[in-house]
Amino acid sequence: MGGTFTSSNLDQTLRVSYQLLPTEGTSAWSSRFQAKRLGKELQKINNGLPPGIELVKADNLEDWLLDIRVLDNNPLYLNQTYRLKFKFSSTYPIEPPEVTFVKDTDHAIPMHPHIYSNGIICLDLLGQQGWSPVQNVESVCMSLQSMLTGNTKDERPPGDEEFVRANRLRPKDIDFYYHDNTV
Amino acid sequence: MKVTIKKWNAVGTWRWDLPEDDVCGICQVAFDGTCPACKYPGDDCSIQSGKCGHNFHMHCIQEWIKQDSAKGQCPMCRQKFEWNDQSNKNRTVVAV
Repeated sequence: MGGTFTSSNLDQTLRVSYQLLPTEGTSAWSSRFQAKRLGKELQKINNGLPPGIELVKADNLEDWLLDIRVLDNNPLYLNQTYRLKFKFSSTYPIEPPEVTFVKDTDHAIPMHPHIYSNGIICLDLLGQQGWSPVQNVESVCMSLQSMLTGNTKDERPPGDEEFVRANRLRPKDIDFYYHDNTV
Repeated sequence: MKVTIKKWNAVGTWRWDLPEDDVCGICQVAFDGTCPACKYPGDDCSIQSGKCGHNFHMHCIQEWIKQDSAKGQCPMCRQKFEWNDQSNKNRTVVAV
């Protein structure tokens, strides 16, 4: 915080010197915001994440990978590790990240009535309606972890096959209808 | 012995009168730092307190509130975010 105040030796009056930034366009402003915010999050993540959540890759400002595990003995997810991909637009965290489960040789898509078999997640928190900029990578991982922990239904959302075949929209542009608060 | 003070130097610092480890929930920077758009903390990057009791950098909460999806709500508690005009009372001068 050096340079905030300079005090004059001679007249003992406090002089406040502020240096104003040149005016920036919104896009420059938001990408700078995004970079700083992700830097802060990474710092915090490197100091430790809650049990069952691990950082896999965060070497850029566009997409990160994190693994989550369910900690109790829910038979649906026993001994499984699931991989999450976070995609950040330059307007993060004003806009939500795009979060999907990743399917590869080591990771399956968890069975859940709100998770499509292509990894797209229907969760109000991740949509324009439910998102808040105080949410972050860690809190989203915890929400998904608890969404799995609380689930007992070994099923996909209704219309999964059709959705997975036909959907060309990005997750954030899909108008999910959050009708079911019981799962 | 009589001492005459010929001159003296005063040095002061200040911080916001908020818990020291408090961070702005939007940018996650400590309140004594600036929002990501500013270089120097102070009146030009002030703290905005909502009537709901949640505080943010003024620039951060403005960026959020102007979104349609914000619906005018506090990002923390989703109550209507109403400016608390006395935010400057949060500034405390600390002598060092």
